[in-house]
Amino acid sequence: MSLHTEQAAKLTGRVLNIQHFCTNDGPGIRTTVFLKGCSLRCKWCCNPESIHPKPELAYDLKKCIGEKECGLCLKECPETAIYVAEADGKVRVNWDLCTNCGKCVPACPSNALYEFGQAMTVDEVLAEVEQDAAFYTQSGGGITLSGGECTLQPDFSAALLEEAHRRGISTAIETAGNVPWEYFVKVVQHADTVLHDHKLTDPERHKQWVGVDNVRIKANFKRAYEAFPDKAFIARTPVIPGVNDVEEHIRAVLAFIRPHPNVVDYQLLPYHRYGESKYGFLGRVYALKDFPSLPDETLKRLQAIVDDAFGRAPSGQAK
Amino acid sequence: MKRIAINIGSGYVPGLDAVVAGAAIAAQNAGLEIVGIRDGYDGLLVPDRYPDGGLLELVPRSLDAAGSRGSVLGTAARQDPFRVRTVTADGAVEEVDRSDDLLGRLAQCGIEAMISVVGGSAITGLHALSVAFKLQRKGLATVCVPKSVENEIAGVPLAFGYNSVLAHVTETLDRIRVGARDAGRLAVVEVPGQHAGWLALQSGMATLADAVLIPEIAYDVASIAAALDARERAGRPPALVVVAEGARSRDGMHGVAAAADPMRSSLAPNADPALGEGERVIDRTGAVAHAVATAIQRATDREVMPMSVGLLARGGAPTALDRQLGLAYGAAAVRALNGGESGVLVAFQPPDVRSVPLAEALNRVRGVPAGSELMNVARALGIAFGD
Repeated sequence: MSLHTEQAAKLTGRVLNIQHFCTNDGPGIRTTVFLKGCSLRCKWCCNPESIHPKPELAYDLKKCIGEKECGLCLKECPETAIYVAEADGKVRVNWDLCTNCGKCVPACPSNALYEFGQAMTVDEVLAEVEQDAAFYTQSGGGITLSGGECTLQPDFSAALLEEAHRRGISTAIETAGNVPWEYFVKVVQHADTVLHDHKLTDPERHKQWVGVDNVRIKANFKRAYEAFPDKAFIARTPVIPGVNDVEEHIRAVLAFIRPHPNVVDYQLLPYHRYGESKYGFLGRVYALKDFPSLPDETLKRLQAIVDDAFGRAPSGQAK
Repeated sequence: MKRIAINIGSGYVPGLDAVVAGAAIAAQNAGLEIVGIRDGYDGLLVPDRYPDGGLLELVPRSLDAAGSRGSVLGTAARQDPFRVRTVTADGAVEEVDRSDDLLGRLAQCGIEAMISVVGGSAITGLHALSVAFKLQRKGLATVCVPKSVENEIAGVPLAFGYNSVLAHVTETLDRIRVGARDAGRLAVVEVPGQHAGWLALQSGMATLADAVLIPEIAYDVASIAAALDARERAGRPPALVVVAEGARSRDGMHGVAAAADPMRSSLAPNADPALGEGERVIDRTGAVAHAVATAIQRATDREVMPMSVGLLARGGAPTALDRQLGLAYGAAAVRALNGGESGVLVAFQPPDVRSVPLAEALNRVRGVPAGSELMNVARALGIAFGD
């Protein structure tokens, strides 16, 4: 290993989690590394614990032993943010008072209180990723950096992907592109597949639902398409009912990507309204509560437009 | 102390201006100036949104219609002063602690003390109470007025707004029951109550519901089914089951299997195991009613009709009790501030209005005690709890 790569391997990043055997994050069977920190606030976000760059407290009620048998965390919290629920004698976290200082975490013997987000080196991450190496060759898979936003940690992400390449692992990233171009290019250059989001066409509506407009995002994508003709770009849209589930958006994305043959696919990711679910583990409320459901017919219709644009037979079944 | 302000945390309950008017009248009579801050602290934190100004001078005559509607101050608070969403210079979205900035602005406006009407938000629960507590800890003299649709605020037997919501829900349940009975179906109605079952219990008692499911008592579908069948055999066909939003079944989340790996499910909390990886789900009101209704239909072969009262419970006119309570709470808050108190909630404990330290109300929920006489009375009325 050269001196350069040796140093790079020791770079640390803020890693949320490493997830094995993923089939939706790029070609083949992949190991997805979720990085912490995002520069957008999509109202439909499904990884809310990845949003803030710093480590955050998380709590798993099922693992709590209870105040009577333990109660150690209550003594550690300087903010009186941990309390006991009378109903079951176990603790709860008042997320409004919690400052994520982390003092309660080492005190908890059952790991009911734990932290989302830890510092890991490139080597540490790859040691875990390489456990799955056998599956990559069979399936055409590899490592995928997700988030959060992996390009917000450009040095770490670039070093990680570069080293993965050196070890013969194929690389992919999932990005929303809302970073300075220098960050973006630093990471994209080491990715074989770039999965990137086109959330909304209109800049003002983009701002309303995502937190900022999409001017820089689109500029970054266009520049990347042109700068890296040999990379596979896969455009994606999380289809949110009543937000972007319209032909206009799909056609606008197609018009944006189709002139670039290196954008090899456009995937629609449907959101369903279905049954009981929880967003409360970090003390947050899902902003899309009570949104209407995305009808299958809508998705089929939008998918047909995409299939037609890519000159392939209709997929037939909407997911 | 010369000048005070009043604001309202997010979460509408009927007749909020009764509290504002009560405070304004009492302040004027005590020789204090009082202003209102629009939409929680948003009037000061995001002044651009308020072309007419984020502060509203309050004089009693501007509040003539006190209590008949919502509030002139607005209940659309979206900013937590400790986590204000901001777009940074390099185009990233971030949450920034602007509490010091807020305290500075309050001082600039000559505001020496705050009355905050807090609690009872469908979106954030008791979050505003915690915000008030933290601002008070940073030196802002604060007296809180409790408002809630669930009546779950610890130390407060009757929060403002609860009585009106109870009246609206009861009226709605009455109508639903008539319709359900006529159609020969069993209505399963979800009512607000994420943490405490008071609303479900009291509206259920008022309408003589066949069963009431509350967060404090885990229910068993077989037990509900048996109670409904017994009711049928006694010649009184069941027509109404009231379910609090926070009701839970004894075998977990209404029988819906949770994802096996907690880290996996927390990474994609809205991912649906039935739909597969990558499929996201959207939360909705009424999900509990659907789950309970389906389970009952399966267990009893009765046709069910799941419904949700949801936001309907919050609108409408306040009851006489709430109008009186709101005026009293507003005036009591001024009296408490004038008497040098801070860091307290005013709480109606008839015939007194007492001050409850915020620290005692935080981190607690006033639930329905399972063995209480109120529960015994409800059982005596033939209401089943599924336990």
